[in-house]
Amino acid sequence: MIITRTWLEEFIDLEGISNTQLYETFNAIGLEVDSLTEYTIPEKVVVGRIVACNRHPDADKLSLCLIDIGMDEPQQIICGAANVVEAEYVAVATIGAVLPGDFEIKPAKLRGIESFGMVCSSKELGLPEMGDGIMILDESIGALEVGRELGSYPKVADTVIELELTANRGDCLSIHGVARDLSAALDRPIKPYKLGKITKSNVGIARKIAIQSDRNIPSDLQYFLVENREPRSRFLPTLRLALVGVNSVDTIDTMVRYSTHATGVILRAYDAKKLYNSDGKITLNAQHGKQGLVVISHDDQALSAVGIEQSDTFRAHDDTKEILFEASYIDPTLLVETVSSNKLETDTLYYNTSRGSEPKLSLGSHYLQNTCNAMGECLFYEGDFSIHTKREERAVGASVETLSAIIGNPVRKTTVHTILKRLGFDIRGSSGDTFGVRIPPHRHDIVNVQDIAEEILRITGIDNIEAKPLELLEQNRMTDASRRYRFKRDLRERAVAAGFYEVVTYAFADRSKLEAYGFPTVETSLELVNPIVEELNTLRTTLMTNLLDALKRNVSYGIKRIPLFEVGAVFDAQRQQTERVAFVWSRQREHDRLDNQGKPAAITFADFVERLGRVVGDLELIPCEETHALIHPYQSATLLRKGRAVGYLTKLHPTVAKEYDLGETFVAELDLEAILPEHILAHPVSNYQGVYKDISVLVDVTLPYRAIHAAIAAAKVPLLKRHYVVDVYEDESLSDRKSVTVRLFVQSEEGTLSDTDIDASVDAVLKTLETQCQATLR
Amino acid sequence: MENLSAKIEAADSLESLEQVRVEVFGKKGALAAEFAKLKDVPGPEKKAFAAGLNTQKADLQALFDRRHAELAEAALEAQLKAEAIDVTLYAQASEQGALHPVMETMDKIIDYFVAMNFAVETGPMVEDDFHNFEALNLPKFHPARDMQDTFYFGDGSLLRTHTSPVQIRTMLSQEPPIRIIAPGTVFRRDYDLTHTPMFHQVEGLVVEEDGKVSFANLKYILTDFLHHMFGEVDVRFRPSFFPFTEPSAEVDISCIFCEGEGCRVCSHTGWLEVLGSGVVDPNVFKAVGYEGVSGYAFGLGVERFAMLMHKIPDLRSLFEGDIRLLEQFK
Repeated sequence: MIITRTWLEEFIDLEGISNTQLYETFNAIGLEVDSLTEYTIPEKVVVGRIVACNRHPDADKLSLCLIDIGMDEPQQIICGAANVVEAEYVAVATIGAVLPGDFEIKPAKLRGIESFGMVCSSKELGLPEMGDGIMILDESIGALEVGRELGSYPKVADTVIELELTANRGDCLSIHGVARDLSAALDRPIKPYKLGKITKSNVGIARKIAIQSDRNIPSDLQYFLVENREPRSRFLPTLRLALVGVNSVDTIDTMVRYSTHATGVILRAYDAKKLYNSDGKITLNAQHGKQGLVVISHDDQALSAVGIEQSDTFRAHDDTKEILFEASYIDPTLLVETVSSNKLETDTLYYNTSRGSEPKLSLGSHYLQNTCNAMGECLFYEGDFSIHTKREERAVGASVETLSAIIGNPVRKTTVHTILKRLGFDIRGSSGDTFGVRIPPHRHDIVNVQDIAEEILRITGIDNIEAKPLELLEQNRMTDASRRYRFKRDLRERAVAAGFYEVVTYAFADRSKLEAYGFPTVETSLELVNPIVEELNTLRTTLMTNLLDALKRNVSYGIKRIPLFEVGAVFDAQRQQTERVAFVWSRQREHDRLDNQGKPAAITFADFVERLGRVVGDLELIPCEETHALIHPYQSATLLRKGRAVGYLTKLHPTVAKEYDLGETFVAELDLEAILPEHILAHPVSNYQGVYKDISVLVDVTLPYRAIHAAIAAAKVPLLKRHYVVDVYEDESLSDRKSVTVRLFVQSEEGTLSDTDIDASVDAVLKTLETQCQATLR
Repeated sequence: MENLSAKIEAADSLESLEQVRVEVFGKKGALAAEFAKLKDVPGPEKKAFAAGLNTQKADLQALFDRRHAELAEAALEAQLKAEAIDVTLYAQASEQGALHPVMETMDKIIDYFVAMNFAVETGPMVEDDFHNFEALNLPKFHPARDMQDTFYFGDGSLLRTHTSPVQIRTMLSQEPPIRIIAPGTVFRRDYDLTHTPMFHQVEGLVVEEDGKVSFANLKYILTDFLHHMFGEVDVRFRPSFFPFTEPSAEVDISCIFCEGEGCRVCSHTGWLEVLGSGVVDPNVFKAVGYEGVSGYAFGLGVERFAMLMHKIPDLRSLFEGDIRLLEQFK
C-alpha cells in the first residue's frame, strides 16, 4: 500500500508530525514502512501561464510559446511536446534552474529561434511518469499563481510512503484506512468526509433503475447515475496515482481508481446507455450463485461478479454519455473460498476484496462524486440505489485482567477504551473490569480477545512493554530428539577433525539421474507434482548424487583436496524419511606440503577407511552387497559395525568418475540410525600379562582375509583374545598362493601363561587354518 | 700452580676440561701431589702450608666451575644451533575440515535454548495439510497461505513450509507444560537470488497454564537470545501478523554492519528483520485439544542468521559445497 502525506491529510490532521515521526509510528503500529520518499522540485521551476502558442516557423514538431512566468514580460520558450497546445498552466524551468541529472537551464537557440527556459514533463522534474508530454497544471494542487515556485505546492512536492501490509489488514488498503489506524496511534480524530456541492438533476434515480435481487446476498451494493459532459483530466489525481504506482487507462478510470485508493471502497463504472431497456429503464439482476458469488447482470449478460471482475462490454469510457457507478462490498472469507475452489479469474481489485475492502460504501461514493464534480460538468440523478445486507453484529467480551495477562504488563481500562474507539470499535456494557467490544465491519480480522490484545499492544507500542523472564518449574527436557541431535553434533565434529568439510545440499534430486544410476526412486503416485526445476524434480533417495555435483564444482574451481560430508534426510520409494551420513573424498589425500614435496599422493582405499574409522569408530569390511552404478566392482565393501551392516564404501566407478570429471574418488554412505551409540556393558580385564604371536601362512591368493579371520574366530581357541592381519605378501615365487601374517594376542584371566599354553593356542589356530583355509605354515 | 690455572683457562671444550680436571683434581692429580707433601712439612709450618694449599684448591675449583659453566653454556648453545630449523617453512593449512556455517549457526542457536531448558523436538519433512496449515489457523483459501508457496505430492501430502508443524505434533503427543525448540529443514517453491527451495528454521514453543505466559515473557527471552547471537545490538519489536499467533510481532536488530546508520544490507533503514514471534492463537490450542493454557511461539531462518553473522553475501552459495567458502570456517 502506497500513500502520500498530503493525501493522508485529507482525512487526518498531521500538523506538527514530522516525516520521521510518521515513519516510526507506522513501524510501531505494525504497518511496516518499506520506503519513504520525499519528492522535491528543483528551484526556479515555476508556474507559467501560456499567453500564446504558435508553430515554430522552421520545425513542425516545435511550438513557439510566450509564457508568463511572473516577470515583466512573457518569455519566449520553445516546447517540443505535442500536448502543449492544450495547456494553459505549465511548469517552467526558468534560466538557472538545475534539473535532475545536473541539467542546467540556459538560454538556447532552437532552429534559429531563442528560447528562455523549458516547459517540463513530470520525469524531467524527478517525478514519476504521468503520460506523454508536459505536465498541464490546474487548480487541483491549489490556487495557481504565475511565477510561484512549483516546489512550494505541498501536493506536488509530496512525501510518498510505501507500507508493507500483513495479509490480515485489508482495512488499511486505502488512504482513509491508514488514516484511521494513525488516528488511534496519534490520538487525533479522523476528519469527517462529506459530499460537497454537486449539480443534481431533478430526476430521481428510482425512475431510472430497478434491481431484482436474491434475498440475503452476502454483499452490499450502491448505484448512482451521472450524466457526463466532457470529463477533464485533472492534475492532482493523475499525479497521485503516478506517485502510488496505480495505472489508469482514461479519465473515467482515473476517477474511479483514485477514489478507490483514497477510500478502500470498490468502485466500478458502467456505460448506462448500453443497459437501458426499451421502456427507458435499467433493470439489473443481483443473483447469488455459488456460496459467496454474487453476479450482477442485465438481460442475462453479466456486468460484474462482485469483488471479482467486471465485463469489458459494459465498462464506461471517457466518451460514455451516461455513467452508472457502482460501489460494492462482499464478505472476503466467502469470496476467497469461492474464487479459490472454482479457480475463477480475477482483476486487480481482487487483492483488496479478498483481504476485505471498505464496507462503508457511502464514503467511496461521496469521494467519487466529489472527484467527478471536480473533473467535469456532471449532472447527478437525485439519490442512490442501495442494497444493504443485514449482517450479524460481531462482538467479543474482554476484561482488563485478560488483556493484561496476554500482554504481561498491566493496562488501564481508559487507555483500552480510547484506543478501541479511535480504531472504530464500540464499547458496550462496561462494568467493573469487564466490557464488551463491538467489532466494526471493516475489521473482519478481529474475532477474539487475543485480537483485541494485539490492537492494544500495537497502539500502546511494544517498546513500552516491560520484558519479564518466565518463571518455570524444573523439568528434564532431555528428549530422544535432543539425544539424537547431540550424537549428530559429535559425529559432525569428529568428521571435521578427520578432515571433512560439512556440506548442506537440497533434499531433492533429478529423478532421471537416480534411475540411470540404479538408485531407488519415490513411487510415481507419491511423487512431487510441482517441482521447481527439472534437476530437483524428486526427493533424493541417496545423498550421493548431490555430493558428486559438489565434488565436480570444486574440481572446476581447481580445488586439489576435496573431502566432504553431509548428514541429511533421504526418502525411500514409499517416501519414508531416514537420515544418512555420507562421506566423499576426491583427489589428494593431503594439502601440498613441505613433507610431501608438494606432490601428495591421491586418496587410497586404506586412507579413506582410516578416515571413516576416525568418525564412525570400529568398522569391518565385507564384499559389497550394494549394486548401484557408483560401486567399483573390485574396490567396494559393505560396512559392518558390531556385526551389523551400516552402509557401503566404494572407490567411485571410473565411468561415473569420468562423467563428473573427477579424479581418484572414494565415497561412503551410512545409515545414521545404524551407527547411533549403543549402551555398553564393560567386561572384566585380565591383570595377567598377555603375549603377541605372529603366524604367517600361505593361502590361495583369492581367499579374502575375512575367511581367515572368521575361521579363527569360529574355532573359539582358548586364551585367544584378539587376532588381526598385519601383513599380506604376494610374489611370483608363491605363484597362486599368498602369505598372510596374523597377529594373535593370547592372555589368561587366571594366571601367567606358560610356553605350553601359548604354543597350544598357536597350534590350535594353525590347525584351524590348515583344515578350514587350506593354509600351510610358511 | 700458575700452570694449573692456565690449563683450566686453556680448556676449549667440556671434554678437554674434563681431562684438566683429572690432571688437577684427580686422585693422582697435581693437587693431590701437593697435599701429599703436607706430611713432610715440619710441624709448626704445617698449618700455614695446609691453609695455603686449601686456598689454592678453592681458587682452582672456583676457576674450574666458572670455566665449566662457560663451556657447558657454549656446548648447549652449539647443540641448540645445530638443531635450528626455519620454522616459517611450516605455516601450513590444517588438515581439518569445517562445520557448515548454517549448521554451526544452528548449533549456536540450539545451545542457547538448551541452556534455557528447552527440549529439542523434530518432525517429518513430508507433512499433511492439517499439521502444516489447518491446525495452525491457516484454513484453506486463507490469503496468508499465499505467503508460503508450497511443494505438493500426488497424494496431497506436501513438504513442510515451516517447522511449525512440529509444534502441533508435540502438543498432540504431550501434555503441557511444553518448552521446545524444533530445528529443521523446510521447503518453499521459490528459487532466485534471495530464495532457495530448501532452507532451515528453528521454531520455539512454550505452553503453560492459562494466564501464565505473556507477550512480555516473549520480549524478554528473544531480546536475551539476540544478544547471545549478535552481541550488544538494539532489539526492536514491530507488530505484525502470523495466523498462528496473536498478538504477533516481527523482531529487528539494529544493523550490525552500519550500526544503525543505514547501509545497503539493511536497505538504509538501520534495522535487520530476524525473527517472527507471538502469543499462541487460541485457535491453535483448539486444534490440538488444549484448554486453559497460554503460550508463546517464535521462529527464525537459520540461513539469514548465518549470512548476517558471517557476512556471507550469497544465499545460494550455502548449498553448493564450495570449499572456497567452507574453508573460511576452520
